[in-house]
Amino acid sequence: MRVRQKGFVLIAMSVAMVVMLAVMGLAFDLGRIYIASNEAQVFTDAAAMAAASKLDGTDAGLDRARQAVAKLPMRWNLGTKSFTGVVVQFSPDKMSWARVTAPDNQVEITFLRAVGGPAVFTVPAHSVAAAKPVRLVE
Amino acid sequence: MIELAVSAGVMVACLAGTVQFGYTFYIYNELVTAVGNGGRYAAMRTFRGAGSRDIEKGKEAIRNMVVYGDSHPAPNALPQVANLKPEQVQVDWVMDDSGTQPAAVNVTIADYTVDAAFGMFRFTGKPAVEYPFVGRFAPSENEP
Repeated sequence: MRVRQKGFVLIAMSVAMVVMLAVMGLAFDLGRIYIASNEAQVFTDAAAMAAASKLDGTDAGLDRARQAVAKLPMRWNLGTKSFTGVVVQFSPDKMSWARVTAPDNQVEITFLRAVGGPAVFTVPAHSVAAAKPVRLVE
Repeated sequence: MIELAVSAGVMVACLAGTVQFGYTFYIYNELVTAVGNGGRYAAMRTFRGAGSRDIEKGKEAIRNMVVYGDSHPAPNALPQVANLKPEQVQVDWVMDDSGTQPAAVNVTIADYTVDAAFGMFRFTGKPAVEYPFVGRFAPSENEP
């Protein structure tokens, strides 16, 4: 007696497509998350250095530090989005260090959400820089 | 058999796209790391400006740092990112209001094409970083 085999490809492809979506999500969405994380880290590194370089122990110095961070032209999400909600903090003496946090970098998830992943993934970054850094002498 | 052929075509296309975008994102991430490291190096190194040739030599050292991770690489040094060359890296000093001292430095990948097996992606003017200059300013020194 011949066993009916119709529809096997449909079932196999359905299962394979879900697995494929997960693999595509790992490559595409995780790739973008890693890039966003790296871009945010490089931005906060530069922003902390920019802020720290303006500190002189005065309130005017703090203002100049905030302006220096706001003026940085760097972007994220493959260089397409500006950083928003950036937080700049300073040492109590207003002259030792500056800390910059970029907390709102939300990467929209494309494929992983189809297999139960989140719709957005936040990749915050923060850096601290000393006001008087060790300089390279060469 | 026909449905298997059609389905396999779709799967292969998805797989090719996954490889293509995955590799491109990997390379872009490497470029972000490279310009970040180069920018930080540029920000902290000594700016020697005795002549335009010294400034250009300084830029060359920064470009080498981006590409090779070394300001003075060995002749057979390999780039940190596949096929990246120093001439594809653009270094621009941003001068202060007086126009005499560097205030910041821009490091940009001017033009880079990723060969991702099934297609090409071209990056122009990205990734880019700007770091404040916090190094030593030596306007009368020559670049060694």
